[in-house]
Amino acid sequence: MPAGKAKRPKGPPKKSAARKRAAQGVSLSGALAEAAWSEADASLAQALADLDEAQDADDEDAREDALVRLAQSLSRAARKRGLTRIGELNAREPYDASRHALNAAVAKTPKSVRIQARGVARGGDVLEKPRVTPVERKRRR
Amino acid sequence: MTDWTLCIDFGTAFSKAAAAPAGAWTRFDPATVRPLMLNGAGAGNAFLLDSAVFVDEDRVLFGRPALARADALADKKRAALRSFKTLLSVSDLERALNTNVPATIDPHRLFQMRDLVVLYLAYLLASVDRAFVSDPMIAEGQIASQRYAAPAWRSGDSAGMHDIIVRLFGEAEAFRASVGKRMLAPEGLSLRTISDALPKATESAEPLEMGLIFEATAAAAYTSVGLEGSGSHLIVVDMGAGTTDIAALARLGPRTIELPEARVTLKQAGDFLDRVIANRVLDTASWARSADQKAELWSVLMRQMGDIKEAVFVDGRAVLRNQGRSVGLTMRDVERDPDFREFLKELRQAYDHALAVVRDDARARGRSEVQAIAVGGGAGAPFIQDLIQRKSGASRPRVTPRPATPLWAHEREFGGNLAPVFPQLAIAIGGALAPDSMLAARSGITPPANDRSDIPAGRD
Repeated sequence: MPAGKAKRPKGPPKKSAARKRAAQGVSLSGALAEAAWSEADASLAQALADLDEAQDADDEDAREDALVRLAQSLSRAARKRGLTRIGELNAREPYDASRHALNAAVAKTPKSVRIQARGVARGGDVLEKPRVTPVERKRRR
Repeated sequence: MTDWTLCIDFGTAFSKAAAAPAGAWTRFDPATVRPLMLNGAGAGNAFLLDSAVFVDEDRVLFGRPALARADALADKKRAALRSFKTLLSVSDLERALNTNVPATIDPHRLFQMRDLVVLYLAYLLASVDRAFVSDPMIAEGQIASQRYAAPAWRSGDSAGMHDIIVRLFGEAEAFRASVGKRMLAPEGLSLRTISDALPKATESAEPLEMGLIFEATAAAAYTSVGLEGSGSHLIVVDMGAGTTDIAALARLGPRTIELPEARVTLKQAGDFLDRVIANRVLDTASWARSADQKAELWSVLMRQMGDIKEAVFVDGRAVLRNQGRSVGLTMRDVERDPDFREFLKELRQAYDHALAVVRDDARARGRSEVQAIAVGGGAGAPFIQDLIQRKSGASRPRVTPRPATPLWAHEREFGGNLAPVFPQLAIAIGGALAPDSMLAARSGITPPANDRSDIPAGRD
């Protein structure tokens, strides 16, 4: 409809073939995702370049520097995509198999675990559970 | 056939638009909120239309092609016209529209500011139309109501400018109808077409039927929609590029009013923060000693400032690469800056003043809650988030901070895809959701922004 008129005439609007194709091919959710990706792409590209520098660094300082920049680029890309972290590093929590990914071979289900790597969520979906290791009990003397 | 409400937000860098079914305010279903894909260029963010016009050798280009051409000719001192939104802030809009355009923008000396604004609005309306018919959910419906969003308090008379703006939109619509499909051609419009059609279109044009919604009110709409028990009073902190504005709104029955005595505008905002950050980095970067080196580093900083600011605000630090060297900056470095500390002090004083006003009003009307929300580019900054947490949970009326992205934007039907881009589209979405009673002006009706007649006192 012409945006300038208050009402569109009754009946189906005329659509060009291109517009029909566009209507069939592009969902709102897909376009929103594409919009977020377009913002994240540049950060991911930087992250890849930073990774090369980290891997090829001549010394520890240069490697540390490149890793800081890599973390920055990846965090930015994640934010643009709406990813959020789950948990706090080194936090101690009661173990829950549905919420944690155990990062060690254990003979017995641990009662308490420590978060070794934070999880990642997007909206209500958990994409990666927090990786945890068992907290060893103090031995009684 | 569904009736839709359309809201256009022509921002400084990008224009956005969104539609919502008429009556969405009372029967809210997040799945029916439709941001419109204005950018048909096939590259970049589909929802953001570049606010740009470029006057070329023999034609005028719009949007992304205008910027590309301006970039290509930058060394010839040519530039695109941008920042149409700033026009809304000038104290004498008519006069600003009738000024001649600088030669860097129009070397032919053919156009006044008004002409280029009308041409861009015609391009924007054509893009809205294309987006509307391309969306399968809304294409079978009709636009029953349309409005545009504008800052409320910059000049203190945005509502007074409404008649001029709807006239501009009307001229744009008449021009768009006259040139038809050529309006969206990537190669733009020839000067001949424009000189033939524009005078006739502007002569015959009628003001477009559009409402005006203040940006703070749009923020109130997307924050409060669907919340049964949400408070009637709202304090909005809007940190944009040029100013930080604090406003208070009261939703009373079907109407929303602004509390003008709460309104505060600070001249420090995003651009000010950019300068603080850049100066701190220059102080740290010991290798940049000469004026040329400093100028080069400043230029690199400004190009990457959006990313640097985001990293400092969210992660607490940012690292920048320049000439093979890395330079870091932390949020603590920013907080140590004397200018920043002064700004923070003024900001807190301004917020506390506005909060006192809105709480007094809420108390006088027997209301129990004030919602606090941050909007604009600086909404995510830690000191802005700290600000809206101030005095939360205190005595009645209690202050409840609301997230910058409302919970409904995380609903499953969006597949997690709306929330990351919500801040960019927020004002257009809020403007489309708001009921007519929240408008600052309708076609032919321009009530004072602080009109309080017919508002009964009542309790939650």
